[in-house]
Amino acid sequence: MSFYEARNIHFSYQQKKVLDGVTVSIPKGSIVSLLGANGAGKSTLMKILLGLLSPDQGEVILEEKNLADYSIKKRAEHIAYVPQSTKIVFAFSALQIVLMGRIAFEAWFAKASSEHDKQVCYAAMERLGIAHLAERNYQTLSGGEKQLVLIARALAQGAKILVMDEPISGLDYGNQLRLLEAILTLCKEGYTFLKSTHFPEHALMLEGQTYALKDGKILANGDTKSVVTEELINTLYQTNITLFTTHFGYKACVPNFLNQRI
Amino acid sequence: MVKTSLLFAIAFVLLIASFFASMCMGRYEIDFSTLAHFLSWKWFDIGAMPRDATLLSNILFDIRLPRIVAVILVGAALAVSGGAFQAMFVNPLVSPGILGVLAGSSFGAALGIMISDSWIGVQLFSFAFGFLAVMCALLIARIYGKNAPTTILLVLGGVISSALFSALLSLVKYMADPYNKLPAIVYWLMGSFSAVDMKTLLNVSVPLVLSMIVLSLMGKYLNILSLGDDDAKALGVRVSLVRNTAILLATLLSALTVVVAGMIGWVGLIIPHIARFMVGADNRVMLPMCLLLGGIFLLWVDTLCRTVLSVEIPVGIVTALVGIPIFVLALKNAKKGFA
Repeated sequence: MSFYEARNIHFSYQQKKVLDGVTVSIPKGSIVSLLGANGAGKSTLMKILLGLLSPDQGEVILEEKNLADYSIKKRAEHIAYVPQSTKIVFAFSALQIVLMGRIAFEAWFAKASSEHDKQVCYAAMERLGIAHLAERNYQTLSGGEKQLVLIARALAQGAKILVMDEPISGLDYGNQLRLLEAILTLCKEGYTFLKSTHFPEHALMLEGQTYALKDGKILANGDTKSVVTEELINTLYQTNITLFTTHFGYKACVPNFLNQRI
Repeated sequence: MVKTSLLFAIAFVLLIASFFASMCMGRYEIDFSTLAHFLSWKWFDIGAMPRDATLLSNILFDIRLPRIVAVILVGAALAVSGGAFQAMFVNPLVSPGILGVLAGSSFGAALGIMISDSWIGVQLFSFAFGFLAVMCALLIARIYGKNAPTTILLVLGGVISSALFSALLSLVKYMADPYNKLPAIVYWLMGSFSAVDMKTLLNVSVPLVLSMIVLSLMGKYLNILSLGDDDAKALGVRVSLVRNTAILLATLLSALTVVVAGMIGWVGLIIPHIARFMVGADNRVMLPMCLLLGGIFLLWVDTLCRTVLSVEIPVGIVTALVGIPIFVLALKNAKKGFA
């Protein structure tokens, strides 16, 4: 029984092997974090899970069916992509960006967006607390606001699975926390998340499951609390840290070089 | 939305007004009351037959009308195809020549002038080579397949194809008879509407109008293309289908403009900037606005060309002279992200 799964994925760019037999299974309504150093193959794996790249070997399964057998439109109804940062050259308003999430549902050659679609988009923006940004030029928004607009677009798309490529990098501390909170709230409402992250602590905050990717292979996977250990972090990122358990049971990473100060 | 509708109404009225104004202007001045009198007699059978009806009919219907309609269509076509190319290449500095269609059409026309004496032959050559050049660009982009983002490969393909056909054009110029063929080629390349006749106009108007309408209707898909390929695919859009259709239509538009009037630069580059400045980046409204503004702009430029001096100035020269300062002004918006 698999909801959304990548099975034994192999992928190379030219001669360079990027993914070497990777299997990832994402249960419905869960948050799955993807950890790994730069170049570990996180983005490639996500693109394969989204159907944007086809693997050299292996397959992606969505609700018991091969992802390749879905039409591109059907795929968009199930899975939404929240890119790291969409660089938009032209001055679209935030609402226009969110409305683009409705494209798969609009009639061919529809001249203007329907009232229904606009309602859906406003509701999505409302939910993330960014309805007041609707008429603002997307390019002039801050990094955090942009990210929320892109999440609103994913919600407007109607997909229940959100694939996020490092959604948190580049945001200030406040926006990071607000985004994590938004993810937790949406997860409770039944959304499924797959997100790559540079911060093991964010995986720990969101709990759920974690896959650790190193040199195109899965190094460890399972329940975040048991998988994300001191040892794993030090191996993945070649660091020297200690994982402390604070009194809430919440774990925090402390780099060991700080000990010398005490 | 109210503001947008108002802008469209203004642009439309301006186009109609420019049309009648341009009908009056020329070597033989016709004042507006004479024009109104003549047209109401001719079209609605109101009032007495004007004294010089034959002369007026000759000037207005045989000479000025086909030319003015052709100018409006060509201006609109260049602006719409430029706007569409800018959206799909996610680059506001792109003009209709990006994939080599203009270089190909120029070479075709020059070759046509050199080896045939018929006007229609020149037009066919121009059209065919315009398409051939774009095919070359697409083929070059295809060869390198997965190695780089599609848009960059397409731009590269266009650069190579343009360079190839420019070189071939030089070859034709070098080999052409310098006393009558070479001047004809050179004048063609400067662009002019003086040779427009009713027959050409009828041949090109249907495909021009249809392509402009379809391209404008594709606006929302072009919007999505300007997010980049991955985003567009994830939103459920068949990126290559949309892009290839848009390339086909925009190429058809630009090739036909060369068939009608030779090389006319700058319209396809600056008009989309002005349209975007007025109604925003949404291609569903931006492209129809391009259509109106392109028509108005080129109509005034061409009217200048045929009235300012006693000899006609090639229109391609004036679009550049007028277009460059406008473009410099438009670049002021670059910081704000090409409003």
